[in-house]
Amino acid sequence: MQRAKPFAGGLGVSPNFFFSPKTGGERGFINSFVIRKHLVLYSPQRVAEMSLDLNKVAGQIEGMAADLKAEQKDKEAHLSHALEILRLKSNELDSLRKRIENSKTTWLVAGITNELTGSHKSRECPSDFAVIAVDGSHIDVDRHSAARCCLINIGSVVLRYGEKPDAALRSQPALYASRQDLTIADPLGSGEQALERDLLGIKRAVAEAEALAELCEGIPPQLPALALLDGSLIMWGLGGQAYPDYVKRELLENGFLQALNKIKEISQKTRVALASYISFPRSTDVVNALRVALCPYDPPDCDRNCSRSVPSSKKVCEAVDGVQDSAIFARVLGPGERSATFISRSSVVQKHYGDNEVRFFYLKGDEEIARVEFPRWAEERGLVDLIHTLILDQCRRGQGYPVALSEAHEQAVVTGSDREQFQYLVELALSEKRLPTATSAKSRSKKTRWI
Amino acid sequence: MSEKIGEVIEASTGQFVAECYELHSPPPLGSLVKTSDSDVEIYGVVCNAATESVDPGRRPIARGKEEATEEGIYRQHPQLSKLLRTTFDILVIGHAQGDELYHYLPPHPSRVHSFVYLCETDEVRRFTQSLDFLPILLGTKAVAVDEIASACLRQASCAHDDKRTFLVKAGKEVAVLLSGDLNRLNAILRRIRA
Amino acid sequence: MNEATPQGKRLGIVVGGSLTEGINVKLDSATPIEEMAVGRYVVIEGQKCRFFGMISDVTLGATNQQLTITPPDVSDPFIAEVIAGTGTYGVIHVGLRLTLSGDAMSILQGPQPVKTVPAHFSMVREASEADIERVFGQEDEKHFYVGTPLDMETKVCLDIPEFVKRSNGIFGKSGTGKTFFTRLLLIGMVQKKAAANLIFDMHNEYGWQVQSEEKRFVKGLKQLFPSKVAVFTLDEDSARRRGLSADYIVEIGSDEIEPEDIELLRETLNLTQPAVEAVYQFSRHFGEKRWLETFLKLDEAADIKDLLDKLSVHESSYRNLRRGLAKLSRLHFLVPHARENSVQRILEYLDRGINVVLEFGRYDDLTAYVLVANILTRRIYDKYRERKEAARGDEKAEPYPLVITIEEAHKFLNPAVSEQTIFGKIAREMRKYNVTLLVIDQRPSGIDDEVMSQLGTKVAYLLDNEKDIDSVLMGTSGKSELKTVLAKLEARQQALIFGHALPMPVVVKTREYGSAESYREFGFRDAAELKRKAEEDIKGLF
Repeated sequence: MQRAKPFAGGLGVSPNFFFSPKTGGERGFINSFVIRKHLVLYSPQRVAEMSLDLNKVAGQIEGMAADLKAEQKDKEAHLSHALEILRLKSNELDSLRKRIENSKTTWLVAGITNELTGSHKSRECPSDFAVIAVDGSHIDVDRHSAARCCLINIGSVVLRYGEKPDAALRSQPALYASRQDLTIADPLGSGEQALERDLLGIKRAVAEAEALAELCEGIPPQLPALALLDGSLIMWGLGGQAYPDYVKRELLENGFLQALNKIKEISQKTRVALASYISFPRSTDVVNALRVALCPYDPPDCDRNCSRSVPSSKKVCEAVDGVQDSAIFARVLGPGERSATFISRSSVVQKHYGDNEVRFFYLKGDEEIARVEFPRWAEERGLVDLIHTLILDQCRRGQGYPVALSEAHEQAVVTGSDREQFQYLVELALSEKRLPTATSAKSRSKKTRWI
Repeated sequence: MSEKIGEVIEASTGQFVAECYELHSPPPLGSLVKTSDSDVEIYGVVCNAATESVDPGRRPIARGKEEATEEGIYRQHPQLSKLLRTTFDILVIGHAQGDELYHYLPPHPSRVHSFVYLCETDEVRRFTQSLDFLPILLGTKAVAVDEIASACLRQASCAHDDKRTFLVKAGKEVAVLLSGDLNRLNAILRRIRA
Repeated sequence: MNEATPQGKRLGIVVGGSLTEGINVKLDSATPIEEMAVGRYVVIEGQKCRFFGMISDVTLGATNQQLTITPPDVSDPFIAEVIAGTGTYGVIHVGLRLTLSGDAMSILQGPQPVKTVPAHFSMVREASEADIERVFGQEDEKHFYVGTPLDMETKVCLDIPEFVKRSNGIFGKSGTGKTFFTRLLLIGMVQKKAAANLIFDMHNEYGWQVQSEEKRFVKGLKQLFPSKVAVFTLDEDSARRRGLSADYIVEIGSDEIEPEDIELLRETLNLTQPAVEAVYQFSRHFGEKRWLETFLKLDEAADIKDLLDKLSVHESSYRNLRRGLAKLSRLHFLVPHARENSVQRILEYLDRGINVVLEFGRYDDLTAYVLVANILTRRIYDKYRERKEAARGDEKAEPYPLVITIEEAHKFLNPAVSEQTIFGKIAREMRKYNVTLLVIDQRPSGIDDEVMSQLGTKVAYLLDNEKDIDSVLMGTSGKSELKTVLAKLEARQQALIFGHALPMPVVVKTREYGSAESYREFGFRDAAELKRKAEEDIKGLF
């Protein structure tokens, strides 16, 4: 990691240069003072080399920070209000549940299970247990390369704790180069989709789940185990009309969900639980439930009642605007506690997931609030506490993030130089077979920066 | 034939680097090891050992504040033993072809992924019958070259029936080679006296 | 090189030096410096031949001068052992003497004087017993074992026939063992039948037994070789008291004393030069044979004055002379006319190869000694000269070789008188008339240089006077090295022997004798043994 050389003193530029474009005057002076502090990190030569002129953007960054500061006060008020509502409505769960079911909102509302404000302590960690985690990364198809191919790299980790501590870390790359690999074809022959960019990312998530399922097969029956994925279990990208049905079938029913089912079956004979961990969640499912609770209309119907012409200040639910679930539960939960379980009412989950209906709770770790998602069958089999306990344990071992996931990530990661090496190997293989390795002009111009 | 203790991961004419098969178990400093390049056996002296993260971008952090023992750390974080590796550096001081021993550098370096073996007592004794390798050992640019030379002689003396005679003989060779630098000579002699 | 015989221990290698100044040898690290003693022998294995030499100096060196300024910690035996011979080393300085080539010719000829130097880095080792024997010879009918070299058991042998071909000297401070060695040499000469000896025994040390320092009795020549030694004495009483029956009582007639004899006694009798001159006058006046007797009878009468005037002798000179010569009257062996011719008797014995020891009994002062030794030697020498000239080359008719042993030699041979005395003459003439000297002295600087240079072989015990050392070493090659060696001799029983009877100088611990075994080695058989031997011989006859 290259570090810029620090040097004493300023840049010899006058303070007035750094006028903030939004607000002038005194703020400009304060800005320049602060800017100077930041800019001492860079030596003059370094600044001249960069094509991103930080001098020019510094002011804008400062402005942003200032705005955020201003917003904070409002946020605080909204949060208090939200907490208030949460407390009030925790005794009126039935009515809220009914309201939510009947509501038609533009935003996603969490489903309530049997409580709203509950906080649960973790159980004692079992003496012997295992944690399996999978993460992946990919190299997308290079449009400017002579050979069309992409790479998915799956990193997996199995950690055993207790009497016989052990670890197995592994990474498994897979190259997708053939025509079948690189497309998803409609079995009815009506079309095909190229496996690249977002779709490739989804394909990767499927591969991760499949790898996870395979690893679960190796777990002994009596051993408590947690199978962990990074990010959300909800395949947002496949919701809506973004992709034709055959794509959804291939990747969701026959892909991701098939893997989840496999794990479900394994779980029936063993003590394996499945969950995913979302760090720093920005979800507002639960807050939106509070909005529903606040809404004067019954049932709430955003399109009808609050059309676009209605200013935001007139909407009652604005009172909790800008509040995230994590902020709420940061106040509600004690360290190590989890919230009540909620249901994801996203359309893709409700339409396709079945037994694997995604549920979630929020967990207060030492460092942050995390959102932990799990399938319904896990809750039905009473594995939520195990999930809670083991995830907390993993975070403790991993400086605030589940260590199995971070190790899996390390196994999966493809660095910039890895990427270059991969492209180099591809070109080498092609040239050995005397195939043209010409790349596009654009790619060449990107690779060599000339004057 | 002794068990292999490591594998060459870097090689050049004058030295090579090997990774241990067992974490935290490198051969002692100064011990004689050997590897091969086709029909030539290459002998070297262990001049450094290091345990570090497999991925150079990741560095170990202290984890044992709550632990009573060091084993406890590895029990709590079983992935650690897979993320660390122990390597050792070897200074080449001779080679053998067939039955002949030569106390100078081999014509070719060893190959990467060659196995590395710890030399047994008989081999050590046979190799150190002649002290002709001392100029290479003392003249190397390695850090703490005198420590390495002293360690090597101490290790080698254990293979001989009369330790003291061997050390005196070695000491005299060193005295001749380092006659111009008494501080070095004194330092080495103090480290090899029985 | 015979591989079967054990070679001496390896010491080091040649690193420099020259023929004249000696060779420098750097000692191996394994060779302890403190064992290198000046005077020991080393052999240098050159490329073509072997060199034989003696250590004459030992030096310390260091490869790095820093070592002498900040020495290493040698209290640690390990470091001390390592540094010895590597950082620090010893150098011995070797004086080359002989070469031994490997070819058959040289083996026959024996060691040759050295003419060149060994090549650089030639190996140097201790001389082995075999080496010493090859150089000095083994005990046989010519070689007599006189002692052992430093720290060795090999016998160093002196070539006795060669030894007696010239005059020789034995020197050393009193108490160093000269007398012991003289006795040893006399035994050797008797044993090897190389010459007949006439010993003027001032202190009665040679003929009969004497008490050694350890209060033991050491046998004298007569006891060891009764049939080959005759003891003459000037003092019968003394002999009888010591249990010795002398073979002859010697008397000297005053008619035998000549003015030259008195001249030799000038210092001893405290005579002035004019007094000595007066003797000649008196001799002329009173006649050769009677002058002394007459002189001694002279009264303190008036007619003396006339006589003195006539002879132009000053009165004070006369009184001086009278006082001096009065001492002679105390010598009871001095009679007006000897009843027998002592010289004749002596010669009879010498002719038969029987050695004569003349004891002085109680007359152990210089006057008696110088007087008697001089008179007798003069006479005997004259007789020898006559016989030798008469023989005219016919060996059988020549007189038996004679060695005359005198002590306090500087009295006879100092520069002032050496021209005139018979001893000076004998020394200078070498063996012209088959007579040589064996001089014994503790003040060799008192002896005339020319005489010293005529001595063939010298045996030097410890001398602490620089002048004495210089005079002993005069004219010898390799003088400076030998000087160091001589100055470092032990106080007793250690001597440096060099000269014509040895191929090269050697420092020896002189041979001991005094035990029954040692007597047997000389060939002495006591009565019981003789009887047994005789019986065996008789048995062998039949």
